[in-house]
Amino acid sequence: MAPVVVAERLTKHYGRRRGVEDVSFEAGAGEVLGLLGPNGSGKTTILRILTGYLNPSSGRARVAGFDVVAQGLKARRRIGYVPEDAPLYANMRVDEFLAFMGRLKGLDARQLDRAVDRSCTRLSLDEVRRLAIGKLSRGYRQRAMIAQALLGDPDLLILDEPTNGLDPRQIIEVRELIRSLSARHTVLVTSHILSEIERVATRVAILLDGRLLAVRSLAQGASPRLRLRVRNGSPESVRAILGAVPGVTSVAPATPVGEGVHDFVVQVEAPAAAEALAGAVTAGGFGLLEMTEARTDLEALFLDLTGRAAA
Amino acid sequence: MKMLGALLAKETKALFVSPIAYAVIAVFLLIMGYTFAAMLFFTKTATLINGFFQAAMLLLLIVPVITMRLFAEERRSGTLELLLTSPVREIQIVLAKFLASMAVIAAMLALTLPHPLTLQIFADPDWGPVYSGYLGLLLLGGALTALGLAVSALTANQIVAATVSLGLFLLMWMLDTLGSLLPDPYDTVVINLSLLAHFTPLATGALYLSDLGFFATLIMLGLLLSVRALARR
Repeated sequence: MAPVVVAERLTKHYGRRRGVEDVSFEAGAGEVLGLLGPNGSGKTTILRILTGYLNPSSGRARVAGFDVVAQGLKARRRIGYVPEDAPLYANMRVDEFLAFMGRLKGLDARQLDRAVDRSCTRLSLDEVRRLAIGKLSRGYRQRAMIAQALLGDPDLLILDEPTNGLDPRQIIEVRELIRSLSARHTVLVTSHILSEIERVATRVAILLDGRLLAVRSLAQGASPRLRLRVRNGSPESVRAILGAVPGVTSVAPATPVGEGVHDFVVQVEAPAAAEALAGAVTAGGFGLLEMTEARTDLEALFLDLTGRAAA
Repeated sequence: MKMLGALLAKETKALFVSPIAYAVIAVFLLIMGYTFAAMLFFTKTATLINGFFQAAMLLLLIVPVITMRLFAEERRSGTLELLLTSPVREIQIVLAKFLASMAVIAAMLALTLPHPLTLQIFADPDWGPVYSGYLGLLLLGGALTALGLAVSALTANQIVAATVSLGLFLLMWMLDTLGSLLPDPYDTVVINLSLLAHFTPLATGALYLSDLGFFATLIMLGLLLSVRALARR
């Protein structure tokens, strides 16, 4: 099946300043691709090129097979977009706003009522649908924005920093929503927060300073990794002991976290190796302060890539 | 077409739900009513010519108030991104705002119709100049609205949009006084760019294709510049 989003060597300059440079990636149907990078790394610029708000200086992009510049209207019809900070018409009611956006997306009167109803129910907006948007809380405004993006059943959903400014409970809700959306739509989501991307994305593209540093799959069920925090040991001897434990496939070099305390990330064949590791550490006469499951190597990868790029 | 309808409904509602349209119309009618009554007492002539020039001056001042927020506000609040990333064309967005503003101006002018009707009851006015005068005001209003829209599309600040539009309108209105100071071929050129020079024949009952063409050109120019200002960069 053809990918829903294809970006080929996208470059955007704002005058002399670089927005993004030579960015290429693809996202297929049902995928959640996370764009991760610090503020100002070019995430929003990429989204704005895909949604047709900006033209690329060079390079091209296609959404659902349509070129975003040459066939902009057709491409935009396949996209639901949630811009950063939820810009909404404050004096419109929620249902009024959704009906307006639905009409812009070409829904006719009969489809419109049903689509607005469905969107309101899906985003739990039923109790506020007759209220003016200006009176809503940040969480509801964000939901109204997402409800708008879902109208017309787009192939591609683009969410720019969707959890920004939300409280912890709302963040969890949005996260779950994004996961459920991936069943029907390809989702492109940005964040500058690593753990946010890690929780919703199936793949992640790491950006720094307008350049795409890496695209990594966050496949579930990869071999588990454990992080051990050990006191009183020379890093090399602890590493040797950990490496000798059966079931351990590799031990990453130690990262110092305090006076005489080091973190070790250990790749194991099965989580059951945890007891053996703990035993080995204590038997060696070291203090085991903490042992946790390291979900992915994303953080390490991110620090490594961004550190290397900055150097 | 459907999208234009949705946009037009939104723009018209935004103008008529806010107090702006009513404040503008009320002030306009108040001043127009005063002028009409005063002129009638002084001249005792069944004509609206003075009223038409008065209305034209008021349009120069009022149109920037109507157009200043149309794009500047959407740019400031970020909703412009929402519009431009929807599957609609820029020209549809521009036309909707233009037509909604014209609805306010048309309503405003229509509410002065009791003036000629009063004349009709008590005297026998010449209806030709009345028709052409109203046509002239609509065309002038259209040209100013289109240009004001283009200015608003260039900035995120309403006050800047209003000030620049007002300056532009006054300059274009007064251009013929400057023109008369210039040497031979230039004076004709400059005078012919003046709003006043093209409005005067219409207000006095003379219908020339060149005047209609002038205002139509300005309207198209303004709409085109607005679309250009919105164009994806």
